[in-house]
Parts: sequence; structure tokens; C-alpha cells
Amino acid sequence: MFSASILLQILACAIYNNWWPMLSALMYVLVPMPCLFFGGGSTQFLMSRDGGGWIDAAKFLTGASAVGSIAIPIILKHAHMIETGAMLIELVSFFIFICTVLCFHQAGLDDDW
Amino acid sequence: MDLLELWAIFGPGVAGAVFGAGWWIWLDAVVCSTVTVPFLHYLPGIFASLAALMFNCVRKEDIDYSPYDEGEWRLKLWLFIAYVVSFVSLAGSAGLLIQDSLDKSAPSVWTGVAGVLQCVFVLICGLVYWTSHPE
Repeated sequence: MFSASILLQILACAIYNNWWPMLSALMYVLVPMPCLFFGGGSTQFLMSRDGGGWIDAAKFLTGASAVGSIAIPIILKHAHMIETGAMLIELVSFFIFICTVLCFHQAGLDDDW
Repeated sequence: MDLLELWAIFGPGVAGAVFGAGWWIWLDAVVCSTVTVPFLHYLPGIFASLAALMFNCVRKEDIDYSPYDEGEWRLKLWLFIAYVVSFVSLAGSAGLLIQDSLDKSAPSVWTGVAGVLQCVFVLICGLVYWTSHPE
């Protein structure tokens, strides 16, 4: 599923021969960073409320990064730098990325038992 | 689990999303503006972010609601200053919106509207983060 997400990312650039949407891929790198830095590489903390201040900060950064992935294609479209089709492909790519993260999270929860 | 539990779990993430949305809206206005946006227009968003940070530095357990004791007046003074900063940033962004709509050579009305939306979203993010920490 992650490969499908990256494939759609590249398709959005190649079909229109316009590589500005690759900026959105930068945000994909940012989204997992709070998990790695504050949560010990697990998505367990996202479903917990007992982590304290640092865990709340990690949740905050995860939310902010996720919004960036949605905002970049929309802003590029508003500035007429990419086509509407490329923006829609970008949003579908991000949706598949989120499904990948949720599947990873569910698999991680299953490992705990 | 009940709703408060869910709010405590997902509140910080929602706050981050709202904060990101506010600043991205402003970035959209700056990028799509046909004239250069002066630095004065950036200040309401910066001060709103600062205000949201200020009143989330306070631990809620330290606030004393007793009408009898003197209480921690420095804490309440800090919260009051945070409120003043947020109010001034909202008023400033609204004033800049009105000014931009009157002046033809200024940035477009969307820039002013985006400034107001940015302040509103950033302050909402502060409130979301605050309310997601039960006492």
C-alpha cells in the first residue's frame, strides 16, 4: 500500500510533466518523525492519554504534519501551478498513506498480545 | 470509553491539525497574492501563535479558584496577558482586513480574510489543547 501511495505521487508528477507535487512527499517524511522521536518507534502513544507533556507535543506535531500533506496540493492548485487532476491524485495518495499507517498501527497492537 | 476520554486522547492531534490549517491558509494567501505582503500583515498570526503557547504553558492544577484565599495571582496575571495578546492579534487581523478592502493597492481581500482565519484557527488550536487536558 505504501508503494501504491508513492506510485500515485510520482504519477501525479509524470502525467502532467510537472514536479511541484513532489513537495507533498516531503511532508510524508515529516509525519512519522514524532513517532520515532518521542514514541519509541511505535504508534501506541497515539491511542493513549497517559503520556504526559512530550507525548502530547508529539501528537500535536503529527496533526500539524498531516495537515501539511493536504494543504500543499491545495495551495499549489490555488496558485495554478498544478492541474486539478494532479491535486486529486495527490489527495488519494495521502489517503492510501493514512490507510497504510492505520494498518501498521493495527498490526502493532496485535503484536502486543 | 466516554467522550472525555476520547477527547483527551485525540485532542492534541486535533490541535496540531487546526494549527497547521491556520498557518497553511495564511501561506496560501501570501503565495497567491499579486502584490508583496508587507511584514506588518504577518504579525497577527505570529502573536496569535505566541498567545496560544502562553496560556498552554500553565498547568491547570496550579490555578486556584477559591474566592477566599489570595491564590496565585502571578498565574492569573499570565493568563490575562495571554488573553490580551490573543485579543490584540484578532483585532489587528480584523483591522488589516478592513484596511485591505478599502485600499486598492493593498493585498487582496482574500489576504485579509486568510489573516483573520489564521488567527481564529490558531487560537482555537490553543483552546483545543487546553481543554484536552482534564484536571
